[in-house]
Amino acid sequence: MSLSAAATDSPPPPAPDITENNLQPFFVLHQVSPQKSNKKSTRTAKTRRRIDLTPSLPKSVENLEVEKAEEGDHGYVNKRMETFERVWSKIELTIKDVLRNLNISGFNEIHRWVRESFNTIKSFGTPSFPEATQSFPIVKDATSKQVFTGLVLTKNMEFVDDLLTFEELGLHLKSQGCHVANLSSLDFSVKNGIGGCLRSLLRQLVMVTLDAPDISILATWYREQGNCNNPVVIIIDDLERCCGPVLSDFILTLSEWAFKIPVILIMGVATTLDALRNTLPSNVLHHLRPCKFILGTPFERMDAIVEAVLVKQCSGFRIGHKVAVFMRNFFVSQDGTITSFIKALKIACAQHFSAEPLSFMLLWFLIEEDSQVLEGENYGLPSEALLKHAFDLPSYRRNKVTELNWDTLVHGLSELKNLQNQWSTVLLCIHEAVKSDKIHLLDLYCEALDPESGILRVSNAPKGIQKDSTISPGNKDMHKKYPSLQKGGFIWQAICKLRDLPAMQLCTLLKGWEKHTAGIPEIHDKVKELLSMLKFEDSKSLKGDLIDMSKRSASRSHLNLGKDSKAASEKAARLAEFMVGNYMQALECIAFHEVVCFKDVDKLQAALIGDPRRRIQVDLLEFHNIVQCSCCGRHGNTLLPSMHDSSIMHALAQEHGDLINLHDWYQSFKTVLLSSSNKWKNRVKHSPSPKKRKVTTEHAKPSEAAIQARFCKAVTELQISGLVRMPSKRRPDYVQRVAFGL
Amino acid sequence: MDINDVDEEECGFSRNYFLAKELGSSGKKSTLKISDIDLVDEQELRAAAGNIEPKHEKEIIALVNSYKKMFPRWVFELRCGFGLLMYGFGSKKALIEDFASTALTEYPVVVINGYLQSVNLKQVMIAIAELWWDQLKTRQKTSSRILPKGQQPFDSRSVDDILAFLDRSEAEENDSFVCVAIHNIDGPGLRDSESQQYLARIASCSHIRIIASIDHVNSPLLWDKKMIHTQFNWYWYHVPTFAPYKIEGIFFPLILAHSSTSQSAKTAAIVLQSLTPNAQSVFKILAEYQLSHPEEEGMPFDNLYTVSRERFLVSSQVTLNSHLTEFKDHELVKTRRRSDGQDCLYIPLANDALEKLLSEINQ
Repeated sequence: MSLSAAATDSPPPPAPDITENNLQPFFVLHQVSPQKSNKKSTRTAKTRRRIDLTPSLPKSVENLEVEKAEEGDHGYVNKRMETFERVWSKIELTIKDVLRNLNISGFNEIHRWVRESFNTIKSFGTPSFPEATQSFPIVKDATSKQVFTGLVLTKNMEFVDDLLTFEELGLHLKSQGCHVANLSSLDFSVKNGIGGCLRSLLRQLVMVTLDAPDISILATWYREQGNCNNPVVIIIDDLERCCGPVLSDFILTLSEWAFKIPVILIMGVATTLDALRNTLPSNVLHHLRPCKFILGTPFERMDAIVEAVLVKQCSGFRIGHKVAVFMRNFFVSQDGTITSFIKALKIACAQHFSAEPLSFMLLWFLIEEDSQVLEGENYGLPSEALLKHAFDLPSYRRNKVTELNWDTLVHGLSELKNLQNQWSTVLLCIHEAVKSDKIHLLDLYCEALDPESGILRVSNAPKGIQKDSTISPGNKDMHKKYPSLQKGGFIWQAICKLRDLPAMQLCTLLKGWEKHTAGIPEIHDKVKELLSMLKFEDSKSLKGDLIDMSKRSASRSHLNLGKDSKAASEKAARLAEFMVGNYMQALECIAFHEVVCFKDVDKLQAALIGDPRRRIQVDLLEFHNIVQCSCCGRHGNTLLPSMHDSSIMHALAQEHGDLINLHDWYQSFKTVLLSSSNKWKNRVKHSPSPKKRKVTTEHAKPSEAAIQARFCKAVTELQISGLVRMPSKRRPDYVQRVAFGL
Repeated sequence: MDINDVDEEECGFSRNYFLAKELGSSGKKSTLKISDIDLVDEQELRAAAGNIEPKHEKEIIALVNSYKKMFPRWVFELRCGFGLLMYGFGSKKALIEDFASTALTEYPVVVINGYLQSVNLKQVMIAIAELWWDQLKTRQKTSSRILPKGQQPFDSRSVDDILAFLDRSEAEENDSFVCVAIHNIDGPGLRDSESQQYLARIASCSHIRIIASIDHVNSPLLWDKKMIHTQFNWYWYHVPTFAPYKIEGIFFPLILAHSSTSQSAKTAAIVLQSLTPNAQSVFKILAEYQLSHPEEEGMPFDNLYTVSRERFLVSSQVTLNSHLTEFKDHELVKTRRRSDGQDCLYIPLANDALEKLLSEINQ
């Protein structure tokens, strides 16, 4: 086998057939014997070894050794796996529900239109059964040949986010009795032509797979078995990516058969309605009778998802501030799709459960009856090792809870859950206040997670609201009190805004707060109090019975009418300050948060965004850092013969333009291999270090053939990496450089 | 990543690009040729290439061992539903196969060698489906669940049917799947968009997990966001091994040997051997003509047709044309205009190479 020298110390895989396998396009490496597949269940009983893996450790050798120890601890791995599955399915379900709820009104509108269109088609008349099952279309006048087409504007260039939307739309219409087929742009390819989409159509509707699909089969199917009381809806999710001519053919066919098969088309349009004109010729456009629908923007969806999954306690799994900021930036300035945001969350979740030994305790968050699960012997806990791990968590050490036993942990976690509930409530209240200002919940969420301002917020908070405290802190004063509410911060903006809120809006806002704060009686009462005061004042001002309240805030307002509501909004602002100060403890300041919170942003980034273009070049240029050899790194930029051949070649290539003369390249490569090998030899001789590098010093001057062979190999390797392109016929002595810069 | 970082990077990238362009066109382009190097004999070169001494063996073993400690984590991520994508300089073939044969013993594993010139993905799908079917059967024995009898054999089913079979969700089979290890998913045999679409569809089946490697810096361009995030569901791993690309590079010509006689004769022979005997014979006629008329520019088409027909190699001009198209596609035959204005066919090989080729296909 091509087993690189690297892997030689592993138990050698079956050797003899490997070379054959290497030249097989594919082969079965191994199957699973029944004994093996039962092994999983018996593994759980294995002895548990000590685990002291902290999630914050970088991916070091040390860490990996710990993981090896963890390998023995299979029981917990499976438990964590199980928890991951439950947590993630909960999150996934929540996201689906959120998106469905967002879309439901749009879906209903589309369904109404589908029914109306179907009735219009039926009003043209119904063909008799023999007429309908003939294998050719019936000629009718032009209007009855029109295909009703719903154009759904997705307002999103990235069609990947809308795949789920159209799938859901299909399910929705199906549940209403329509016959639905979902087609994608792949079904409209030049290669398969119209046969491709018909095949897919028949497969989905008639449940047959045919080599020679024909639309008459669909017509027959439609007339049989009482299918004809419902319309046939064909959903194409991305119009722009379809092959125009094939789509045109398809539409023409549909329009010819429109009388026999009442087809209603729904097409997703990512750009503007012009796309239709650009894709289809005008004679085809005549056959469409379009109607426009609009879906929500990605930001609306994002906020809804953030609220349901991250802010509210959906699964108990949380992400840290840095991770949240990274995911936000990735969404806003790099990728822009909700799909990748969700994937990032899934990776974070998987990494959390694979690295954090105590993460399986998240199950507890999922189950309402709190202590039951942990107190029971469901987990065979407490295990000493895990307990020790829990008390080694930095957040615990920082907060210095005194007793070290299982109860402390349970208590700590239940406290954590409470604090998080409060945090979510306050955040939702703040968001309520700035919703109309186009401040996204995602931004607010990131700011509220910041542990640094979180510590400040809590430690500087006034201990309670004094009912009679003078109401007049200006912005400056407020800033002094809450240094975390930096000017320009979203939370700060929200509180400022509260001060200027007119009575009507304040009333609606407080009603919203009333709903949100139902779980925290202390705040709930205050909100109610404020609301009743506002109502009271409202009715007073309506009666025109203006009472002078200027004793309390004489200096501020001269308009009596505005004054009362001003006072109320000032109170609301102070209440908000109080909530932020006392109830918004950032997650990362709470003991044991590591159990539920994922913080390793570097690991997430590495797994989410591979950057082969950069990383492969860095591999070559900084070879010694990765291999961690003692011989190559020390000498700055000089190329040493001990370096990897491809590294030398790639470094040399940097000195060339977009074309590399093979002769020159070879000569410089040869020079590196030969001349400096002598220098290196001398240096080693003089060095007092006893650790002589045998390999380097023993190198005799390589032969010409060896150098040429190494040159060829290195060129091949660079070619495989896509860094150079082979010489063309026109320039046989040059290779072309492909990648420039990192 | 910060926006500023991105900007800077972009800037650096374009600056480097233009610098390189400038360097290229500044006039001091070297005009030396490969032939100016004192090239060794090809045999010797190949022998030397086979005996290249690996550098930093110890360090590389340590490096790879550090990856091996991550195997449990990789299994965890596969079980979570991700596809693992390995990248970084150096062959990852041994690493992936080692992972599959030591850490994935509980799951059946299929290996696809994407570095080969062509891979028939339908055959792969059939193999996967058969493995999965076997798996279900063994499960059935242990769990006494009844599977549908009278399965249609997979090789007579359509691709859609096979994929639907692999995607069928069965609640109790939650944590069981077939692993597909793909060496060089960006390799020459899989690089076209159709193959990638098929692979993506395989990867999105609920009972399939993919472990793949890429080597080309631009391979992510093969995929759109749907494929990356929802179908392959990639989980990236940067695992440079610096191991030599022994097998992956086997089909790449040695750059200092590609111009020599034996090499071109050899490649031509390989192509010819894959053609039908009749086509080979037609080629022989042309070759013999060229050898016997070294002064001529080539063999006229009519001439070739007459001789081929006499020897019952072709029945019509259409057949001959189809052979010729095949030759031309592989650059075995070219056309040029003779001084008298007639188009004629010739083989773009030197006479000694041609002789060698003839002796090789006559064996």
